[in-house]
This record gives sequence, structure tokens and C-alpha cells, in this order.
Amino acid sequence: MNSGKLSALARANRNELGLLAAIVVVGALTAAFDSQHTYLRNPKPVAVDIVRQTAMLGIFALGSAIVIIAGGIDLSSGSMIAFGGTTCATIMLFLAPEAMPRNKPVGIEVIAIAIAGTLAVGFLIGSLHAWLITTVGLPPFIATLATLVGLRSLGRVIIENVTGAVLGSKSTQIQIYDRQFRYLATSVWVPAVLFLLLAFAAWLLLSRTVVGRHLYALGGNEQATRLSGIRTDRLKWLAYCLSAMLSSVAGVIFIADQSVADPQTLGRGYELNAIAAAVVGGCSLQGGLGTIPGTVLGCLFLRMVIDGIAKVIKAGADVYEGLIVGMVVVFAVALNQLRLGGGGQKRFFAGALGGVAVLNLALLAGVLTALLGGQTAGGLAAVAVFALLAAVKFFERRGNRAGAGD
Amino acid sequence: MSGTTIEQPPILSIRGVTKRFPGVVALADVSLDIAPGELHAICGENGAGKSTLMKILAGVIGSFEGELWLRGRPVRFADTRDAEDAGVGIIHQELNLVEELSAAANIFLGREQHGPFGWLNDRAMQRAAGALLSELECQIDPRAPVGTLRVGDQQLVEIAKALSRDSHVLIMDEPTSALTESEVARLFRVIARLRGRGVTILYISHKMDEIFRLADRITVLRDGRLIKTLERAATNAREVTHLMVGREIEATQVERDRQPGEAVLAVERLSLAWPGHARGWRLKDISFTLRRGEILGVAGLMGAGRTELLECLFGASPQPPGGRVRLAGREVRFRHPAEARRAGIALVTEDRKRLGIFSQMTVGENISLCTLGEAATGGLVVRRRERAMAESTVERLGVKTAGVDSAITSLSGGNQQKAIIGRWLLTRPKVLLLDDPTRGIDVGAKAELYQLMDRLCRDGLGIIVTSSELPELLTLCDRILVLCEGCLTGEFSRADATEQRIMEAATRRAG
Repeated sequence: MNSGKLSALARANRNELGLLAAIVVVGALTAAFDSQHTYLRNPKPVAVDIVRQTAMLGIFALGSAIVIIAGGIDLSSGSMIAFGGTTCATIMLFLAPEAMPRNKPVGIEVIAIAIAGTLAVGFLIGSLHAWLITTVGLPPFIATLATLVGLRSLGRVIIENVTGAVLGSKSTQIQIYDRQFRYLATSVWVPAVLFLLLAFAAWLLLSRTVVGRHLYALGGNEQATRLSGIRTDRLKWLAYCLSAMLSSVAGVIFIADQSVADPQTLGRGYELNAIAAAVVGGCSLQGGLGTIPGTVLGCLFLRMVIDGIAKVIKAGADVYEGLIVGMVVVFAVALNQLRLGGGGQKRFFAGALGGVAVLNLALLAGVLTALLGGQTAGGLAAVAVFALLAAVKFFERRGNRAGAGD
Repeated sequence: MSGTTIEQPPILSIRGVTKRFPGVVALADVSLDIAPGELHAICGENGAGKSTLMKILAGVIGSFEGELWLRGRPVRFADTRDAEDAGVGIIHQELNLVEELSAAANIFLGREQHGPFGWLNDRAMQRAAGALLSELECQIDPRAPVGTLRVGDQQLVEIAKALSRDSHVLIMDEPTSALTESEVARLFRVIARLRGRGVTILYISHKMDEIFRLADRITVLRDGRLIKTLERAATNAREVTHLMVGREIEATQVERDRQPGEAVLAVERLSLAWPGHARGWRLKDISFTLRRGEILGVAGLMGAGRTELLECLFGASPQPPGGRVRLAGREVRFRHPAEARRAGIALVTEDRKRLGIFSQMTVGENISLCTLGEAATGGLVVRRRERAMAESTVERLGVKTAGVDSAITSLSGGNQQKAIIGRWLLTRPKVLLLDDPTRGIDVGAKAELYQLMDRLCRDGLGIIVTSSELPELLTLCDRILVLCEGCLTGEFSRADATEQRIMEAATRRAG
């Protein structure tokens, strides 16, 4: 391959290469700043853990990415995970009412039926979304917001009724001890290989098939797509079904991992992680932009950052997860906007809003530092950041005046 | 009043105003004095520069060359608010109201009356709005949401809004285009009353009967230039129409020996309803045929129904149309553009940026979009075949591009348009519908598109083309249909068609 081709390839995959570099940097920083240097001393369990976490996020993030590329949004994936897990556990409990509570094997055919049933439910929920959006005319945000709140509650009602009927006592969760079923998550290979296979299939679909091209077209310009004689309603149906079905697959893996199906806690808030991974991976919420490799790397990057922070500050990763996801998304998208929009002339701290933003960022820095390094450090950090940003604000204004004078 | 008003110092003076948009001069050195209290009609074809001039006067366009003087003082409006504060109001053709808010809230939007503590004083605003509206013969509840009102009443709400701002100069942009007869009569009474209050009115219209009924003076714009200002009493509709269209027909000539074949598309009594609109129809009882190897032009002013007609034929109309359409002898009824495409109809849409191109895709992807399936084996797209498809189209139509992998947005408007036409030619259509295909395209590229259409036509395609520019239709078409307010008001063969006759048919109010 000659250098011209290589550079063209690099240009076309700039986003992916940037993410790859960021992932390496995050890994290196974690290795360096972790006082126990876990990454260097004991790399295997770290790698296994990150791969498992990435795969379990990635499986349903693929679905979110497809919907976002097609110009929609699916807010329901977290609840769909819970509902998928609930469905799977419920079917197993129905088919093996003796074996399930007694820690006996339920049999491979029961597991197969349960998984098939879960996928079918995913298809039905995805179709419901598509119907609400294309036929009833709801905005995707509303349609999937309704199922976001609705499915979790429905899952709980179902579980209470089913456990009451089958086991005799109502419960809000179903325990799953079956070894074969739990193997779906206890071995890192199952989720990892499954994720890679699904990602490959999604990549094939989006970048190598007619339907995939039409999905990009739909996301880029829905009216023009329809006026090109493409049935946009069917494309939406496909996108929302894939998203819901991938979430229900993730639900199966999650209950295997946690050995319990509890619709109240399962996958809570994960829809935002999935959207964040897709957006960090280069998908635009306006639709029509983004890739599957980008999304896969976006998932890996998010998990690396979460894991890295956990290693460095020695606290539970989940405590800081939301904060980290939020900040990573803001940074990634802001960087992208600046790159595309040529933000060279942009003033970030103009006017009264800019003043409050300076205060905001200084306080955030102070609070974070205080939490990690004590009150004195926090105070110093707040003052330092405030002084720095105030200086930026001052120079922005001068620069602007000078510019206006020309 | 006319005749004497001109001697007074002008209330509004436009001096050497020029406005350039990228690649086109919309207004070239226009100078015009408006006398206080007169009703001054501004006429011109679509694209003559009327709207640009009015937008400058109303502060919608802030940057231009030249000067505006209002009551003897130079002014420059940075935005519509500036213009309103100076007493210049505009009633846009597409009304500018917040449909969810009440009439009163719309009238006082941005200048809400409030009492102590900043609470809105709705009662006072409703009273004031009611007084204004009843002065305009508008019997509506000021508390009614504007979206529930008829278009004619909405327009009066706009006028009331302008009056509440104490506008001395009121610009009306084709105010009757969406009104019924009785609403038009009421509007004319309102205009008379406004003039009684001393309001100066700039009235934009194509409709000769209105202009000659209302105006003191008439100014004709053409191609961004002020052609002439006439006293109403000293002219007639024929002269004004002639001045409006009087440019030389462009030099581009397409050879004229095409031999149309058998009918490929026959349309009988095509109608399209317009629910909730006073007129009730977008299209009414349109019948015509299109033959193979023929270019059929559709002329008409903005809102005449040109785009709607093409959408009906393509299965893309908001409601299913009435009437019968036969394609190559077989009756068809398309419910989705996908069916029309399969049956052999192609539509190149009007608004290229919004409805035509996929700006995030490459030239090649834009071309192959409709026919990608032909480049696929077992569901997977064969890149090599897709590329060949795009490259042969680029070559065939002479699309000037660095390559099929370039971004579509890197192409000029004319070449984007060729790429889109290429996209549709790949579907091997029997009928090609082109909706104002040369809008926003420079002269050289237009000539190339004309040649292309002629060539396609000779290959046996039936083409329907709409255009806002009459010379274009006269250059291209074998026959020209004229629409006015959704009705077919004229059909001319090439030999009979003149700009004058088409313009007359296009401004003829259907009985």
C-alpha cells in the first residue's frame, strides 16, 4: 500500500484513529498514576474485566448507534435490558418451575427457548416503537421515553405476579443459579465473542448493504430519502427493532452475570451510557453520521476511563461512573464541534453567562479536588481554576476588541 | 390623491441600493422615492428582486450597499425590531405568527404590557387587541389561538400587530394570495381605512386587477433593476405586464425539431384537497397528456400549485389526489414515491439543498442511492460496481467533480443538480419530473442543463419541467401549461406561447 492510499485511509478514519490514540493514552496514564500499578503488574484480570464490561455495554450500544445514525433516538435501552432479562427469567421459571428455585440445571432447551422468547419480545417492543413513531406520529424521544419508564414498571409487575403464581410467594426478583446459563457471562469469551460478532454484523449491515446506505440517508435527510422512493417507515422499523433486540440480548447476559433478574435495578440509566458511547464514537444526534468501529472504540474508551479513574482513586468505579460519562461526552462532542466548526474565533466565556461558566468550572474543579485530595487542595484548585479562566475571559475580550478595531 | 403626492418630500427614499448574494446580484442600484400616504405597487416576476428590496426596507436583510432615508434622515436597520421602532412594518406572504399563542399575545409579542412586579396584563392587551381588530372588521376573539383562525383573519392579526406598533409605512407582500373573494374585499376596505389614517403602503403583487384598483403609482422591477415607475392613471395592465417580462430571451437555443411520440402520461381531472384552507384545494381538475420525447413546461406564480402537481404524479402529495393518471396506458395510483419510482417516474425536487442532496455523502453515494440494489450481490454492495455506476453517470452527464469520492457539497449548484438527475436516470424512468431545476444555478450551467434535457428527450423520455422563469420555459418546452391558484388557466403550444400570454394566464383569477 503506498503512502497516498495510507493517508487517505487515515483521513477517512480520523475519528477512529483519534479514539484509538486516546485509549492508549488513558491506559498509559492509568498505568502510571495508579499507585499499585495494577495494569503493569497484573494485566490479565484487568484486561478480562475491561473486555467484559466493554462487551456488555457494547452489545446494546450498537443498537443505539444504529438508531442514532438513522436519525432517531432510543431512550429505552436500559429499561429494555431490564425487561429482556425479566422475560428470559420468567420464561425459564415457567418452563422449569421445579428446577429453577432449587439450584438444579434447567436444561439447555429451556435456556434456548427463553433466549428465543426474549428476542421475540425485543422484536415486539422495537415494532411498538416504530409504530408509535411512524404511524401514530410521536417524536422518537417521546415514544422511547414512554417505554423507558413503562417497561421497567411492567417488568416488576410481571415478576411479582409470576413468582406469586409459580413459587407461591411474591418476589420482585428471580434468582438464577443454572450453571449453563450463567456461563453466558462467567466466561469472558461468550460476551466478548458475541459482541464482536454482533459488531461485525452491524458493520456489514451499515457499510456494505443497500439497507445500511439507506439508513445513513434517512438519518442525513429524511425528506430527501422518502422522495428518492425509499420506504423510510420500514427503515425505522428495522432500526428500532435492532436496538430493542440487542438490548434484550444484553438483558440475557446481564442476568447471567448477576445471577438474578431484578427489573428495578437491572440496566438502570444504561440508555445514556449507550448513547454516550455512540456519540463519543462519532455518531451525530442529527443523524447520518457515525460508524460501528467508532462506536466499538467509544465503548472501550468509556470503560477505560471509568476503570482508570477507579484504579487511580481507589474507589468504586460505579460511584463516579455517571460523572465520568457526562464529562467524557461533553469533551468528546465539544472537540468534534470545534474541529468541524473551526472554532478558532470562538469566545467561551463572553458576557454574564460566560462569567457564571467560569464560576461553575472553578467550583467543579474545587469540589472534585476536595473529594479526592482534601479541603485545602480543593480550595486551592478552585481558586487556581477560577484565576486561570478569568484570565482567559479577560484575554478573549481584549482579543475581540482588537479584532473589532481592524 | 395621485399626482399631487409626488411633490411632497418623500417619506421613504431608497438611494442606490444594491444587494449581492454569492454569485448573483439580487438588486442593482435601485433608487425610488415613496411619497407620504401613497399606495405604491411594486411589480415584477419571481426573482425580480421585489422580496429582497422589501426585506431590506423591513430590516430582515441588514447588509447592503446604498442608503435608506426615512422622513429626511438616513437610517439603517440592523434587524426587524429597528425597522418597527422606526415605524416600518411588513406583512409577509408567509405569515409570521406564533400559532399556539392568542391573537392578543401575537399582537403584543416582544412588547407585552405588564403591571407591577412584571405580571403580564393580559386583560389590557386583550382589550387593546380587540379594539384594533374590530377597527379592521375582524370579528374574532383576541384570546383565540392564532392557529385556529382562518388565513384571512391571521393576516388581519398581522396588520393589527403592525398598527399597534404605530407603523407609518406598511409593506404588504402579496397579501391576497391566500384569501377568498370576500376576504379580499374586506382587505381592500381595511387598506382604504389605513390610507385614511395616513399610512403609506408598499404593495407587492402580480395581480393587475388589484394593482390598478389600489395603487397610486406602480414600480416595475426586473432582474434586480428598477425598470420604470408609472402613474396609475397614465398606464394600463398591458404596459405593466410587458415591462415585467420584457427582457430579451436568452441566447441559448435548443434545436427545435423534436418529434414527440405516443402519449406516456395522461392525467384526467387531477385534484388535491387543501384541508383547513379557505380555497379548499391545492389543485383542481387538471387534465393534460405528456408524450414520449416531449418537454412539457408548467408555468405559474409562487403558490400556483406547480410543485403540488409534480408531487401528485410522484405519489408524494400530503393527501392522495383525486382524478385518474395513466402511465403508458395503465392506470396508476401511487401511495408512496417508491411505487412511482418502480413504475418509471422520477422527480428531481425543487429545493435541492433541503430535498435533493445528501450533504453528508459523497458524489458517488448521492448518484447511486436509488439504484444501489443493482450493484449488490447477496445483499452486499459490490464497491467496484457501485463506483462504475457513479463514474459512468458522471461521465455521461458531464458532472464536473474531482472524483466520485468527493463530498457532494464541494460541487457547484449546477453540478449537484446534474448528479441528482443522474441518480434518477439510473432508475431508467419513462417520465422525468423536474421542479424548477435551474433555480440558483448560473447561466452557463443552465445552458448545459438545457442541452442535457434536450438530449434525454430525444432518447424518448417524457419530461415535465416547472420554472419561475418564463424565458426558460419558452426556450425548452414543446408545450406550456399555466397554473393559477391550483387551476389550469392556459395551455400553449410553442408556436403560440409568448411571455405576455403566459403571464396573463398566470395572473388570471380562476372563475
